[in-house]
Amino acid sequence: MPALANTTRAIARSWTQHSLPVARASCGTMQSRSISEVHTTSSFDSPFKGQGSSTKIPNFGAYKSNKKSEDGPKLLQYFMVGTMGALTSLGAKATVQDFLVNMSASADVLAQAKVEIDLAAIPEGKNVIIKWRGKPVFIRHRTESEIKEAEDTKWEALRDPQSDADRVKKPEWLIMLGVCTHLGCVPIGEAGDFGGWFCPCHGSHYDISGRIRKGPAPLNLEVPEYDFPEDGKVVIG
Amino acid sequence: MSSFTSFLYNSIFRRNTTMLATVFAGAFAMQLAFDTGSDRVWDSINRGRQWKDIKYKYIQKAEDDGDDDE
Amino acid sequence: MLARSVLRSARSVGATARNVASKTASRSASTTSSAAEGASWKTNALPIGATAFAAGTVAWYAYVAGRDVDAMTPAEEGLHPTQYPWEHAKWNKTFDSQAHGSLRRGFQVYREVCASCHSLSRIPYRSLVGKIMTVDEAKALAEENEYDTEPNDEGEIEKRPGKLSDYLPGPYKNDEAARAANNGALPPDLSLMVKARHGGCDYIFSLLTGYPEEPPAGAVVPEGLNFNPYFPGTGIAMARVLYDDLVEYEDETPATTSQMAKDVTEFLNWAAEPEADDRKKMGWKVLAVTSVLTALSIWVKRYKWASVKSRKLVYNPPIKSPILSKLPKPTNKS
Repeated sequence: MPALANTTRAIARSWTQHSLPVARASCGTMQSRSISEVHTTSSFDSPFKGQGSSTKIPNFGAYKSNKKSEDGPKLLQYFMVGTMGALTSLGAKATVQDFLVNMSASADVLAQAKVEIDLAAIPEGKNVIIKWRGKPVFIRHRTESEIKEAEDTKWEALRDPQSDADRVKKPEWLIMLGVCTHLGCVPIGEAGDFGGWFCPCHGSHYDISGRIRKGPAPLNLEVPEYDFPEDGKVVIG
Repeated sequence: MSSFTSFLYNSIFRRNTTMLATVFAGAFAMQLAFDTGSDRVWDSINRGRQWKDIKYKYIQKAEDDGDDDE
Repeated sequence: MLARSVLRSARSVGATARNVASKTASRSASTTSSAAEGASWKTNALPIGATAFAAGTVAWYAYVAGRDVDAMTPAEEGLHPTQYPWEHAKWNKTFDSQAHGSLRRGFQVYREVCASCHSLSRIPYRSLVGKIMTVDEAKALAEENEYDTEPNDEGEIEKRPGKLSDYLPGPYKNDEAARAANNGALPPDLSLMVKARHGGCDYIFSLLTGYPEEPPAGAVVPEGLNFNPYFPGTGIAMARVLYDDLVEYEDETPATTSQMAKDVTEFLNWAAEPEADDRKKMGWKVLAVTSVLTALSIWVKRYKWASVKSRKLVYNPPIKSPILSKLPKPTNKS
């Protein structure tokens, strides 16, 4: 116990002596002595071993490569560093990607995101309203005269100019979201001044191609993504 | 051999920008190769266990008798 | 190895400190040496006492808190299930869709046997596709059942045939109906059963195949319950359901009791962990990449440190300086 106390006191004193300029000389000698002592007990076999405070540069010849060009070793070194960088960036990319994918729709939502409809059950000249992602979708089986009317309209002068060909994939099937572009009411079919849809909330009139013709709505009725995988079937979404 | 290594060194690693570009391009190539290779190893370890290995049995069967749903 | 090197360095630090002490502080040198020579029992009393106290504390704590305390008797715990070598549970194996163990056969057993009492409410038809059956088979299966539609224009809820996005229907309308039909015992949902029960696959297989012909002598089986040694408490409301040739496998595998139990257990494990195949594959990939990365980073560390480790800094202060000795020395009162 007294030995321990003495040792700590001595260490503390030697530390304070470091900061005093007067003690610098003795400190220097002490350091070199303790370094040499530590070196004799260390297991590390350094080229500097036993040289004390000498500034003489030891011989590193045993470690030198005997190749003439240094490109080979450099290539290896850069290859190792580069491969590590590539693998690390790969892991970082995968991590970021996983977090981003996590934000996208999950499998059960995606499974409900598509609706398959049998078109054979819809007679010509009839509207069908189905629910898709919580929103109504209008499916109109248009007659010949309606198609002609929709195509002959001078669409360049309309509020939201769009040709009928841009709004349908097959002219007899008009498929669009039944949400009024004004404030989101559901328009009534086969009504209004233009033979298409009429929104009862604020009086927007849509024509037989679902284009806005009159009233406060700014845009045509939106057309969702859809596809005809085979005849008589449509998949929305 | 040494001319090839110095060509590689001079063309890829000499400039930092080309080295960085190589590293990032290599990351994508590595991912592609690693994913393909590990999928192949995994499938060969589990040969005959996965659905894709036995799918053909049921696809053909469904064509033969359409309403068999067991 | 590590401990030894730490010990050695600690000892050398101690030696250095003692050197420093003896060289710089000549006053304390005599006491240090005398204490080191006369190492009496007083010197060691403190460390020995502290060690004894620490060991005693650990022993006391282990005695108080470390013993196994069983709330239940072994009979109430249920028999430990035998451990079986499940092929699908290996680190490098996927679930077996068909060839040997069969999710498909297991699903058939579930549909024909288990589904009359147990629901599987977390499995939608779409997840069967590409794992157990084809799209057309799953669609046909889904259309066998009716589901509620969303309210129509009049607010009425109608029935429609099932779609792939629907979940497997349960046998009862709700838990109360299930209890009423089963003497008050609720058949649990099987979606996560493998994960929910201690022993997992082994437990379910043992339970399904572990019904004895007669309860052993002395066993108390309450009215309406059945004896099963693997069930905690040994009295289980479910009777033995799997008998040889109960189902007819489409691939003509002999439908023994243990075959059906094995198939349905593997199917239930898939139902509880449908992601397990991908998880195992991803685990292997991560291990491969990180092991290569570890080796590379060790190499790069050695590469970067090579120049640092073979470096030496020498500082020789000017010792012979007449100005320093002429400075007035500070009075050292301590």
